[in-house]
Amino acid sequence: MQHFGFEFAAMASRCEVRVAAPAQDLAERWARAAIDEVRRVEVKFSRYRDDSIVTRINRAAGASPVECDDETASLLAYAGTLYQQSDGLFDITSGVLRRAWDFRAAVVPTPEALAALLPLVGWSRVERDARRVRLPAAGMEIDFGGFGKEYAADRAAGAMQAAGAVSGFVDLGGDIRALGPQPDGAPWTIAIQHPRRAGATVASIPIAGGAVCTSGDYERYFERDGRRYCHILNPRTGMPVQRWQSITVVAPLAVAAGSLTTIGMLLESDAPAFLARAGLPWLSVDRDGTVGAHQL
Amino acid sequence: MSEPSRGAAGAAIVAAALTLPGVAPPALAESAPERTVLSLGYLNYQDSQPGLKRITVNAPSLGLVVPFAGHWAIEANAVGDSVSGASPRWHSSISSASRMQDFRKAGDVRVTRYFERSSIALGTAFSSEHDYRSQAISALVKFTSDDNNTTWTYGAGRAWDVINPVNQVVVDARKNTTDLMAGVTQVLTPNDIAQVNLTWARGRGYFSDPYKVVDNRPDSRDQAAVLLRWNHFLESMQATLRTSYRYYGDSWSVRGHTFTAEWIQPLGHGWSVAPLARYHTQNAAGFYYDPYYDPVLGPPYPPGFLANPNGLYSPDARLSAFGAGTLSLKVANAIDRDTIVDASLSFYEQRSSWRIGGNGSPGIAPLSARFLQVGLTKAF
Repeated sequence: MQHFGFEFAAMASRCEVRVAAPAQDLAERWARAAIDEVRRVEVKFSRYRDDSIVTRINRAAGASPVECDDETASLLAYAGTLYQQSDGLFDITSGVLRRAWDFRAAVVPTPEALAALLPLVGWSRVERDARRVRLPAAGMEIDFGGFGKEYAADRAAGAMQAAGAVSGFVDLGGDIRALGPQPDGAPWTIAIQHPRRAGATVASIPIAGGAVCTSGDYERYFERDGRRYCHILNPRTGMPVQRWQSITVVAPLAVAAGSLTTIGMLLESDAPAFLARAGLPWLSVDRDGTVGAHQL
Repeated sequence: MSEPSRGAAGAAIVAAALTLPGVAPPALAESAPERTVLSLGYLNYQDSQPGLKRITVNAPSLGLVVPFAGHWAIEANAVGDSVSGASPRWHSSISSASRMQDFRKAGDVRVTRYFERSSIALGTAFSSEHDYRSQAISALVKFTSDDNNTTWTYGAGRAWDVINPVNQVVVDARKNTTDLMAGVTQVLTPNDIAQVNLTWARGRGYFSDPYKVVDNRPDSRDQAAVLLRWNHFLESMQATLRTSYRYYGDSWSVRGHTFTAEWIQPLGHGWSVAPLARYHTQNAAGFYYDPYYDPVLGPPYPPGFLANPNGLYSPDARLSAFGAGTLSLKVANAIDRDTIVDASLSFYEQRSSWRIGGNGSPGIAPLSARFLQVGLTKAF
């Protein structure tokens, strides 16, 4: 068995498929299955594409319900669980706040600008049944940015396993799902990005299966008057979170790990209690840079 | 938000994620017959001796029960775990803790046929590490009395192990074990159930630890155990008390006593907590040697080793005289009728001084272990 790595770009991230295979052509076939699946998920659920289901749902906001296929309905149901279990903090309708936050211009929006958008945020008002979904007000929108990449990592790992791969992992911009351990049984060592120093790491976590995902305040942000404004926005206030530089969670699936890291960031001071009760290993980097390992 | 829903939130999210199409391994993502039960678990284990963090195990597991054709059920379980850590230093005076790393694969399948008042189950299991392979078969027969108050259980099994240590101290060493069990479970009152189980096992072959310099054990081990259980339901508290006592004896002169009590308290809204306490005490195997070493050879050789180099010796602390306690707490929540999530945390401590009914073996550092387990069971 040899290791093969395939780098590619998807979902605005640097991605890689690593797989152990007896021969190059088999490794390529397995990687192809994974990369195709990532592309499929990206195309189907991108909010930037005119033909995606997400765009169709958003365009019909305030108008008629949109028919959903099973996969979309499953993701919407999962979004509902996240909203409910996070006490409304994880809200896939909060992307509308980006209209006020321009991270390139680095301007803090006025309270009035945020107040005008907050009425458009509210998963609890979305009308949904097993087959259809309707956003009740014009201007409302949903996106799967909060867990789409992680879902794609799980799906890609599944596609590779279905094709016969047993050892490897899928890394979509740092959201990692392993198929199984290395051929010799050793776990994969997953390094955790330093939130302030590019190229440096703060820890490494061995995993033989399952997933490791990290959310941080360093992915998209600007600094103004000594304060950092990052892209993770509280749906109630419209303001960025401040408590943690990053949170990492180890879970059986990337989609669960990724959702829990984001909820952890959003919960701010309540994150340790919440994640401790989840019973999963996690790692935190506090706002002063202190690293905390929990059950790791 | 109310506290209970918060507590289960993390587990509920993992459970919800598992229902997404195509994210779990393919064999499980495919739809199975009605009322298939899927369970998913994650175990994190760590043990330590003072000043040394030893072994860490991360073990994800999957279990699947698929009923078919009404009277049949098939069960399958798989577990894969990676183990990384310093190898045991059973005698703490030997400080050369080498690193070990291993990966274990294990699985089992069991088919059960149900009749009116009886059932027959046939199973097979395998377990494989790079230096250890085990295969086993088992059969279990159950009969229930006409009034449903008494159940008799009889079982038999056979296991074949092959040991191939990397240091090639032995090559293709074999160990075969036959075991038999008989048990009866009696409903005493609507709130009390009692059980008696007898087990007996006869093993022949290679029992030594190939990685210890001095470890030469008998090539046979006969074991017998009696297990007594009593479960009582307290109506006033809607709680269940489970108690048990186990006596164990083997041909290596080890005698052990284990007492366990568990309290299962439902809290409403699908929640339950279950604290558990266990105490175990045992004497040492006849050939276990304390960490006092030969004045000439030094550690790890026992005194008099030169005079009898082929004698029976083992420094394995599991064969020493000790007492051990376990405390654990399990929390479970039924999210809905078909889904249960649970998490448990256990602490284990083994100390020579905790032995009751005799002195503990001297000179061994206490061993502590912590288990964290999360699980999900879902019926479809």
